[in-house]
Amino acid sequence: MADLLLDAGIVVTAVAIAGAVAWRFGQSVIPAYLLVGLLIGPFGPSAGGLSLSLVEESEFIELFAELGIVFLLFFIGVEFSLEELFAEPDRILRAGGIDFVVNAGLGAVLGLALGLGPVGALFLGAVLYPSSSAVVTKSLSDLGWIADPESEAIIGTLVVEDVVAAVYLAVLAAIALGDAGGGVLLSLAESGLLLVGFVLLATLGGRLVERLFDAESDELFLLRVVGATALLSGFALQSGVSEAVAAFFVGAAISETDLKLRLERVLAPARDLFAAVFFFAVGLETDPGAVAGVAPPLAVGVLAGVLAKVGSGYLGGRAFGLDDRRSLRVGLGLTARGEFSLVVAALAAGMTGVVGDFVPAFAVGYVLVTSVLGTLLMRYSGRIERAVASRAG
Amino acid sequence: MTVYETDLPGVGRKFELDHGDDGRIVVVLHHDGRREVFRRPSPEADSEKLFDLDIDEARRLATVLQGTTFETVDTDALSVPLGGSIIEWIEVSEDSDLAGETLGDAEVRAETGVSVIAVQRGAETISNPDADARIEAGDVIVGVGTREEHARLEALA
Repeated sequence: MADLLLDAGIVVTAVAIAGAVAWRFGQSVIPAYLLVGLLIGPFGPSAGGLSLSLVEESEFIELFAELGIVFLLFFIGVEFSLEELFAEPDRILRAGGIDFVVNAGLGAVLGLALGLGPVGALFLGAVLYPSSSAVVTKSLSDLGWIADPESEAIIGTLVVEDVVAAVYLAVLAAIALGDAGGGVLLSLAESGLLLVGFVLLATLGGRLVERLFDAESDELFLLRVVGATALLSGFALQSGVSEAVAAFFVGAAISETDLKLRLERVLAPARDLFAAVFFFAVGLETDPGAVAGVAPPLAVGVLAGVLAKVGSGYLGGRAFGLDDRRSLRVGLGLTARGEFSLVVAALAAGMTGVVGDFVPAFAVGYVLVTSVLGTLLMRYSGRIERAVASRAG
Repeated sequence: MTVYETDLPGVGRKFELDHGDDGRIVVVLHHDGRREVFRRPSPEADSEKLFDLDIDEARRLATVLQGTTFETVDTDALSVPLGGSIIEWIEVSEDSDLAGETLGDAEVRAETGVSVIAVQRGAETISNPDADARIEAGDVIVGVGTREEHARLEALA
C-alpha cells in the first residue's frame, strides 16, 4: 500500500509540475503530461549512470488511466450536442465529411504505404483523423478566436469528429478485442448491439436519466454519476465492447438533460485528475527509443497530416461561408491532435504484431508534435495569413 | 435589433449584438461562469477583447447598464435618511480611544455632534444609553447626525 501511495504522489506531482510549465508557455497540458511520462517512466533516459526513471506501471496508474479514458470520452459525450449537429446540418456535415475523408483517408493510405496492412491502416486513420477538442478549445479561448465566426466552423467540425470518432473507436475496439480472443465479426456484432442500446438510452431515456441522477447535494450527484458511468463502461468492456465508447454514449444521454451545467461544474475536476494520469500513463508505456525509431515515417506523417488538416479545414471553412482568411484559420486551428489519437494508441498497444509495435509509438510522437505545433500555428496565424495573402495577391 | 445566439459545445454560448455601422458586440458565456466581452469593428476584422467578468461582476454591470442601478444592502454601511441627519452604525475598534470610556467621559456628543441612540454589544442592544454607559472595543455605536458628524465619530471609533 505504501508503494502505491508513493507512486500516486510521484505521478500526480510530476504532472502538476509539467502542467505548470506548459501553462507558463501558453501550451496545452497534454504534451507536457506525455513528455513527463516518457521521462520518468521505466524507459526514461539515463545520463551518466543516473536514470530519471521514478515509476513503473502500477495498479494505481492502470486504474486511474482507465478512468481517465472513460471520463474523457464521457465528457466528450456530455459536450456533444445533437442540436448543434442538426442546427444547420448542411454546412456542418459538409465540413465534417471533408475532414473525415481527407484526414482518415490520408492516415489509411499512409498505413498501407508503410506496410501495416488493412488493420494497421484503419488504426493509423484513427490517429490522424480527429483534432484535439481539449487543445483547440483552450487556444480558441486564450487567443480570443472564440468570438469570431471561424470558431463556429472549428467547433462544428469538432462536434462531427466526436461522434464519428466514437463510432470509429467502437469498430477499432471490436477488432482489438476480437484479436485478443473470439472473432472480430462476433465482437463487431456485439458492440453494435450494445451501442444501439446506449443510443436508445441516450435519445429516449433523457427524462429517466435526469430523475435518476438529480440528487440534492453535489456530493451525492458526483457519486451517482461516477458510479453509473464506471459500472456501465465496465460492463461494456466485460462484454467485449469499448469502454470509451460506452462512456461516450452515457455522457451523450446526460447531455440532453438539464444536468449538463452541473456536470461541468461538479465532475470536470475528477475528469481532469483521471485524464492527467491517462496522458502520463501513455507516455510511461512508450519507449522513447521506439518513438525515435519511427522518426522517418513520423516526419512524413506530420508534414502530410498538417497540410491535409489545414487543407480540409480551409474547405470546411468555405463550406461555412467564411472568407479565405478565416477559412485558413479554421485549418490552422484544427491541426492539433490529442486525446482521441492517444486513446487509439492505448487500444493499439494491446494488439499483437506490427500494429501493436508501430501505432502507439507513432501516435505518441504525432500528438507530441502536432499539439505543440497546432498551438503555435494558431498563435502566429497572423504571419501565416499575411504570407499566404501576399503570395495569392 | 437582433441578438445572434450560438451554442459553442465544450465552451459555452456566444451572443452577438449589432453595434455601430457594421460592428458587433460579442459576449461569450463560459461554462465556468466567466463572461468575456469583445468588440468586432467590422465583419472582416478580428474581435478585440474588451474585458472579462465573473458572474457577480456581470450581474452588477448588467443592472448598471439597464439603468436599474441600486445600492445593495451592506450592514457595515447602512444609512437611513432622516432630514439632514442620518442614522449610522459605527464599530469601535480595539485601539480606539473610546474603548473603556463612558459616553459622558468621552463627550461623544460635544466632540463629534453625533447623538448616540443605542449601543450594540453582540446580540445585546443598550438603547437610549445614559452618560454612564461604558463603551467597549467591538461595540457598535448607533447614532444620529449629519455625514460630517458621523465622519468625526468614525475617526474616533
